[in-house]
Amino acid sequence: MPGQIKTMIDKIITVRAHGNPTLIITTKTKLMLKGIDPDKFGAGSEDDPGIIDKLRKLAQELSVAL
Amino acid sequence: MKTATAYSTKKPVADAVEEVKRGFASVAPKMVVFFASTAYDPASLSKAMADAFPKAAVFGCSTAGEIVTGKMLKESVVAMAYSSDIIADVAVGVMEGIKEDRRGEGVSKVFRDFERHYGAKMADLDFSAYVGMILVDGMSVAEERLMDKIGDLTNVLFVGGSAGDDLQFARTYVYANGKAYTDAAILTLLKPANRFDIVKTQSFRATGKRLIATRVNEAAREVISFNNKPAAESYAEAVGTTVENAPDHFMSHPLGLLVGEEIFVRSPQQIKDGKMVFYCNILEGTELALLTSTDIVGDTSAAIKAKNGPGAQIAGIINFNCILRTLELEKDSLTDAYGKVFADIPTVGFSTYGEEYLGHINQTATMLVLR
Repeated sequence: MPGQIKTMIDKIITVRAHGNPTLIITTKTKLMLKGIDPDKFGAGSEDDPGIIDKLRKLAQELSVAL
Repeated sequence: MKTATAYSTKKPVADAVEEVKRGFASVAPKMVVFFASTAYDPASLSKAMADAFPKAAVFGCSTAGEIVTGKMLKESVVAMAYSSDIIADVAVGVMEGIKEDRRGEGVSKVFRDFERHYGAKMADLDFSAYVGMILVDGMSVAEERLMDKIGDLTNVLFVGGSAGDDLQFARTYVYANGKAYTDAAILTLLKPANRFDIVKTQSFRATGKRLIATRVNEAAREVISFNNKPAAESYAEAVGTTVENAPDHFMSHPLGLLVGEEIFVRSPQQIKDGKMVFYCNILEGTELALLTSTDIVGDTSAAIKAKNGPGAQIAGIINFNCILRTLELEKDSLTDAYGKVFADIPTVGFSTYGEEYLGHINQTATMLVLR
């Protein structure tokens, strides 16, 4: 099912930012500094298992349940 | 007065601290931040500063040059005192053994202390009501791990810098509790009494040329290949020079991680067997932009003016200014001009071995602006 990566990224941003525009930017920046560029993934992005594993780990670090 | 700045170039420590103390006669300090050359004995200085202000939270670090209202200095101690009109509350924590603390246990421990102090979880604190400061041993190579862990545990923003040692690159110190620590970091969590801002300014623009780090050695801050070619070769090609001459372009053409309009600068340090060593970590797969330098004094002045508008008068700035920026300013005889950017605003700061804001960055000035 393509788009799983975008769904995971969106969940992380939603949980951490609570809709606050400043926190959306800082959360995206934190993801980029951890090696994931949120803007590179869309609804049609291939489900790369390596990226999905990395996001699971990042979500755990950020205390976000996926 | 709500804030005061003071400095001294006197030696020994006792005379310098006495001069600073005299400068703070008009303030009842709740917090004193100080930065000092390693020309001062670290342990004696930290103790003397703590003894001089027993009712205040006193902390700081060693430097590679100091900044105080209107001036860039060498071999001095600079300090700023804040009254409770500016700082409603402050908690200070020390992390020791940061080089070997791979899992960020030190951050968790200090955060637990902060939670006891403020009676709230770090994860729940309002990032618009609290702000953090971090001062790190500049020789620890631990900054990325610390900032990553801090960002994991809280939405509160931490700003700061890596301590220096007057370009000796031997040993740097952070100061708190009347002691000097190495292989350590100081974390402070402030509850400012008024609105605050963080400034992050770097004098570069993206050239449009991109380099992807295709192979790296994270632990050594090395990039082995960019765009699947030896890193130095790809970098030299992007700059339009030879590998041999590439280091001449490091200062004016570092790389940057672009996050929207924001640039997180990654500065090359040296070329080693075709690999490039950086002053901060670059993760494998990261796409970086080749940058070109702009005007440090002009850009900094614009960044400060943007925060110092009518009705928003600044009470004090803490400026963490990269030593590479300072060296560039010295090369162009612009240190006086840079100092004058802060002539009308109480300012204290230092030339750092790295700057912190969300992550570890280079060739940048990060600043905490209190009102």
